[in-house]
Parts: sequence; structure tokens; C-alpha cells
Amino acid sequence: MDASSHLSVVLDLPPAQWHRAAHHGLPLSDFLSHVLVFLHAHIAANAENSLAVFGAFPGSSTLLYSSADPVPEHLPIHPNSYPPFAALDHAVNRRIHAHLDALDDSSADPSALIAAITKALCYVNRLSLSPAANTNPSAERDPSVLPDPRLLVLSVSPDLATSYIPIMNSVFSAQKLKVTIDVCQVFGPDTVFLQQAAHLTGGSYIHLERRDALLQYLIMAFLPSPAIRNVIAVPTQDKVDFRAACFCHKNIVDVGFVCSVCLSIFCQPVPVCSTCRTKFPIKTLQRLNQSRPPLPSTPNGPGATTPRSNPGTPRIGPGGTNGTAVARSVSTSATTAASGELPHSSTIGLGTPNGNGNVGRSLSMGTPVTNTSPNGTAR
Amino acid sequence: MPSLLRQTEQDKKNTPHSLLPFLQSQSQNTLTRLYQRPSSCLSIFRLLAPLERQIVMNLLWLESAIAASTMAAWVQRDGRKLYEESLANLSYLHILPNSAAKLALNFTFKTSLRQALTGGGISGSFGVPAEKDDKQPGPDIEALDSFALERWETILHYMVSSGTGQNPTKPSQGVLFLLQRSELMNSFYGGPLQITSAGFQFLLHSPHAQLWDLLLQYLHLAEERQMDLVEVLGFLFMLSTMDLGREYSIENLSTTQKAMLEDLRDYGLIWQRRPNSRRFSPTRLGTTLTSSSPPLPTTTGVGSGPKEGFIVLETNYRVYAYTDNPLQTAVLNLFVSLKYRFPNLVVGMITRDSVKKALMNGITADQIISYLITHAHPQMRKNNPLLPVTVQDQIRLWELEKNRLKSSEGYLYTSFTSQADYELVLNYAKQLDVILWENTGKRCFFGSLEGHSRIKEFIERRTQNPNS
Repeated sequence: MDASSHLSVVLDLPPAQWHRAAHHGLPLSDFLSHVLVFLHAHIAANAENSLAVFGAFPGSSTLLYSSADPVPEHLPIHPNSYPPFAALDHAVNRRIHAHLDALDDSSADPSALIAAITKALCYVNRLSLSPAANTNPSAERDPSVLPDPRLLVLSVSPDLATSYIPIMNSVFSAQKLKVTIDVCQVFGPDTVFLQQAAHLTGGSYIHLERRDALLQYLIMAFLPSPAIRNVIAVPTQDKVDFRAACFCHKNIVDVGFVCSVCLSIFCQPVPVCSTCRTKFPIKTLQRLNQSRPPLPSTPNGPGATTPRSNPGTPRIGPGGTNGTAVARSVSTSATTAASGELPHSSTIGLGTPNGNGNVGRSLSMGTPVTNTSPNGTAR
Repeated sequence: MPSLLRQTEQDKKNTPHSLLPFLQSQSQNTLTRLYQRPSSCLSIFRLLAPLERQIVMNLLWLESAIAASTMAAWVQRDGRKLYEESLANLSYLHILPNSAAKLALNFTFKTSLRQALTGGGISGSFGVPAEKDDKQPGPDIEALDSFALERWETILHYMVSSGTGQNPTKPSQGVLFLLQRSELMNSFYGGPLQITSAGFQFLLHSPHAQLWDLLLQYLHLAEERQMDLVEVLGFLFMLSTMDLGREYSIENLSTTQKAMLEDLRDYGLIWQRRPNSRRFSPTRLGTTLTSSSPPLPTTTGVGSGPKEGFIVLETNYRVYAYTDNPLQTAVLNLFVSLKYRFPNLVVGMITRDSVKKALMNGITADQIISYLITHAHPQMRKNNPLLPVTVQDQIRLWELEKNRLKSSEGYLYTSFTSQADYELVLNYAKQLDVILWENTGKRCFFGSLEGHSRIKEFIERRTQNPNS
């Protein structure tokens, strides 16, 4: 039989956002039941599959469930359910409730999503330091111990500009650990940074279009392990917003200025790099100031940064073009999608809504996103 | 040889589970009845290949059929062949009825697997736990492990030491019958049971494969005994989804399943306090039936050595086995000539004679090598290649040596009167392509059996009519 795989899931659980989401047809309880069934599917695939669930709450993050946890003794066994599933449901529900109850109403902290992602990566790192690797430190990390670990982030929070640096640091450690980061933006606007994280680690980013079909999205896009993704494609983003946040004001910038020594990013030319204290010649500064575009990149709020062209019109089915062409466009990498006039829809619908009544299950993937500055982060 | 190791791992990935061919040979009716149990669906789902599982999952929550072309649009170009194979495998199992245009899961399978994942329904197919009994608490996991280990090693030990004059503990009558039926052991002319060459090969398999080998035989036997196959399979699958270290009640079991309890107790899959007890506990042998690893507590003896491996093989053909387990020692004795025995260590040599003895028993060189690789001591794992190349090559050469002589029936043609006569007949035989050996100096050649009549006819014609 095949090898086991590890999945870490980060659930973004700020009450304020979920309150808003409930008004848009996705209450937290529905969301959790979809996610739990998805997690069951992961455990069902192989008895040795391991799982860790992390929760991000305002100002704090915690481990909700780990398959290494001992099963609580008192938990009754139900004759109609597989015991590990019951243990998972029990642990996740109980800890989420405990945390939400403990939350202070007045706290308006943003969700500690990054903290949770970092914890998840630490968890993967600990797993990969197997006993075998300890006894034999010179050996390469044994791939059989932890093949293709994955991290799935289910986010509802908008981008937080201050989190750019920690996210990038997590991405680099994920690349080092060979962790694939998958991101599903369940609710709210696209997040630039998580999109980049998914792109840089070879994962998949999905902006949820049909909230009632969440489970089908999760299973089709995030359940397959990287080995299977070689056979059955998963949706990847056509266009990635590669913009970075500047180090000085934490704004997301279209045009940035990069220190030639330490590669820090600034939103305007600075005489002295604040990170490495390098002094730049005055002539360079003048030249740079002249070359700035007439409308300097104004500090954008994180929510307003991703102009999406023509959102919310998923094109159903491989109509117009033939099926393979659509499949290709699903898997095209972001680098190829630079010209602004490309058809933005990479939508594949499973089933036609005007037909056999499977509207609720039809699946449309991919989010049309244009990039205002196609060629990268900074000059 | 690392390439060999990779090869075997590759094989493991590609070969389907040994139970699947058996399931595929069953009728649709049987399978549909089996699919009514969520626990069976979950277990069968686990036995599928990864791609097949993903296809099932993609279709599981769709209410209506989808066009096959829509699904195929997601398949990468390189994966077409694999994808088609997976669809075919699923249709043999009647999970995904074969249809060119529309894809939809078998309705029963879909309903049951959904129930398994969401935990609904009233089937009770995951086992009804027994009431807690404070006076007689169930056995702990350690006790269960040692019970399973003892039962399983009794069977293997009996097999390995049959015919060596020792008298190991006999397994129960049912087990003996099964061993005989599966032709792992045979009795010659009513004598005591002797291990067969299939049995020797069986001993070198992993415990997981051994277990399924026996259970498959048990399933075949069940068909003959008029037991309901669905009940038997359903019970095995139920065991595989049970929680280790818990007690389950036998109230909800059918008559067939109650009859199975005794057999499964003999194999060490379940534990019961008394034969007529109202409750049972699955052992690790039972609960890991549908998982890939770590298979069984049998991988090491009780309290012996490190968990994963115990054999050190040196370039001078010396074998050090850190074990005190009589079964492992006995298995090693199949192809190693043992020299010394210490409380925790057995030392032996791989010699030409010891390997030849193993080859005579029907064990192949590859099986010896893969056994040595799977049970190699952690210290050995530092080496690259893992086993010394000299030893590996020599074992293979010894196997080739066995195939040095090839016999074939035929006729020797000799005492030709003249060189011309000889060459004439030889050329004719060459045209027929029946010559196996020739010697011009001695004027003789050896032709195969098929050509004899025609050569004989040719010579007769020549002698009667020498001038033509």
C-alpha cells in the first residue's frame, strides 16, 4: 500500500469576520461541519495519515487537534462511527468553543493567522525530526518518515500589511521543509500574501466562490497529495499578485525601492537604509525621485489592493473552447499570465446549473484577478 | 543494491492489495450487499490505490452523474493511462459502474461511505462496544499484543520447525487444516505435516502479507463451508476499524460471525476471556488489517533488540542477528548455517551449502536478499548499498549455478561411415533447426526429439537410394 501523508490545517476563526460571513450564507457551524468531513476524508484515506488542526483567534492561536493526541478514555464509542473521527470532532468542537467563550468582547485584535501558520510549520518540523534522524544526524532527512507534508490555510481575514515579513519568513521555512501551502480564502477579499505563499510553495490558492459547495472545493483541490496532483490537476492561480509591503510604512506598494545591499523594500527613495544603515549617494536619490511615476503610489488599504476585473461571473463548463484547453488554463503558472487581455475565467464547472438540478454541487474554480503591475514587486 | 531496494518499494506501491482481486471476482450482488455496511466501505476505500481514492472522493458528494469528459478535463496529459486504469479497476469492483458518458458512484457504496465519513446511520457496523465491567476490566494493549504475538508465532514456529525433529506447540486443528488447504504445509502418505516450498516463501514475507495470505485462504474456505461471504468479510472489515484496547459486545453479531470468533481467536486477531464469553477485544493484528504500517507486534520478539531490524551482514558472509526470538532464529536457519548462539545474539555464515539448501526448498535468491534488507540492523542502514555487493552477487551466482545444467530429450547420431555422409545429414538437420550439439571431429551430433523422425526418414531414403 502507499505511504502515509501529513496534513496540517489552520482554521482562521475571528468572531467578527464569521459574524459577517454568516450574513453571506456561511455560518461558522456549517463551515466546521464541511471542514470536519474533509478531515475525515483525509484520515479515511490511510490509517497512518496524520493530522494537526490549528486555530487562529484574535490575538492568540492554538493547537486544536493532533492525531498524536491520546484518545480520551471517557469518550464513548458510537457503533455507527469510526472512533478516530469521533475523537477528532470532539476535540475540535470542544476546544473551539472553549476559546471562543474565553474571548474578551472588547478585544479588536486581528486574527493571529500568522502565529498559527508558524506553529503549524513548527509542528511539521518536529514530526520530521524522527527518532531515526536523531540517531543518525549525518543522514539526509528520511523521506519515508514524512512524505510530502502539506499545510492548508482556511482564511477569512483580509491581508494585514504588518504581516508581510512573518509570512515571507514562513514561506521560506516551508520551502526548506518541502511543505506545500494550500490556501482557501473562504470569505472576504483576496489576500495578496497568502496567494504568494501558495504560489511560492507550489500549492493551490482558491477564492471560494460558491460557499455552499465548500466541501467539494476542499476535496477536489486540497485532498490530493502532490503525487496525485501530477495525474489529476488541481486549480492553481492564473495570476498572482506579487506586490510586497514596504518595510517603512508596511504599505502594499506597486512600485518599491529596494536597498541594493540588504534588499529591504521602501515605498519611497530613502537616503539611508533603515535596516542595514547603508547610505545612498544623493545623485541616485534625485534620479530615482525624478523617475517616480507622476501619481506616487499612495498607501493603499489592504482591502483595496486587489482590483478584480469582472468578479463573480463564473463561466460554467468548458464552453467555447474545448476541454483540454480549459484544463491547461487551469494549470498554467502565474508567470505566463501577464498580458491584460487574457480571458480571466479559468472556471471549470462540474455539471451545468441549468440542467439536472445539481446546482448546489457545481464547482467553479479559479478567481479572475488582474495584476496592476505585472512585472514584479519593485524596481 | 539501492536500485533493487527502490524496485521493491516501487512494486509495493504499484501492486494492488491482495484482497482486491478476490473482491473483483465476486458477483455484483455480493459486493452490493457488502457495500451496505459503512465500515466495509471505509476499509475497501483504504485498500484502493491513491488515485482511485481521489476519484471516489471527487464523485462522492455529487448528487447526480457528471459527464466523463468533464472529469477527464482535470487529468494531466501524462496521467491519462493511469487514470483509465483506475476507472477500470473501480468498475471491476462495481464501485463506479462502467459507462462511457456519465460517471456516478454505485448508489449503495456512495450512501454507505457518506455515512462512514459523517458518522450517521443505524447500521452499527463499527462494532457495538460492551458495557464497562468494573469487576473484570478488559486486557490492556500490552496484554493484547503479547497474546496476538504468541498466537501468530506459534503458527509460524510450527511451520518452520516441522520436519526438524523438534516438537513445537501445535496450533489448533482449524489452523492446521487451513495451512494444509493453502498448501503451505503438506503431509506425505499420512505422515506428519511438512512445510512446502510455498510455505518457505511464505515465511519470508512481511507479517502483513502473511496474514492476508491466510485470510484469503480462509475466505475461500468460507465459500466452501457455505458461510455467507458478506458476513465473513464484513466482520473482518469491522475488526479493522475497531479501536485497539476496547471490548466489544457479541450481541449484534450474526450466527456466522459468532462462528468465526473461534477461528479468529486461533489466529490471534481477537481476544476473549473464555470461549463462550459475551465480549471480545480486537488485537493489533485485527485493527491493522487495512493499514499499511506498522503492521504487527510480530516484527520483533518480546523484549528483543531494536524495533526495526536486527541483522548485520558483513562482507565476509558472516551474519550477526541480534535476537533471542526462536522464530527469527529458525527463519534464519533456512539459509544461514548457524555457528554460535548467545542470549541476545546468533552468529552464522552464509555458505554455498546453506544457500543451496534454501534454493532446494524453493526459496529464491531475491527472497533471501529482500529478507536481509527488510530486517537489516539500523547500523547497516548507514551503508550504501545496504548489503555488501559481494554477498548479494554471490547469492545470485549460487542461484544461477543451480540452473547450470539444462536437460533436453533427443537422439545422438553417430558412426557415420564417411565425412560426406555426416555433413549431408548435418546440413539437413541444420535446415530443420533441431541440432542441440555437434562435434565434427567425432562425426556425431545430437538432435532434439521433434526432429528425429524426419532425420531418420532422410537417412533411410539416402541409404535406399544413394545416387539421387
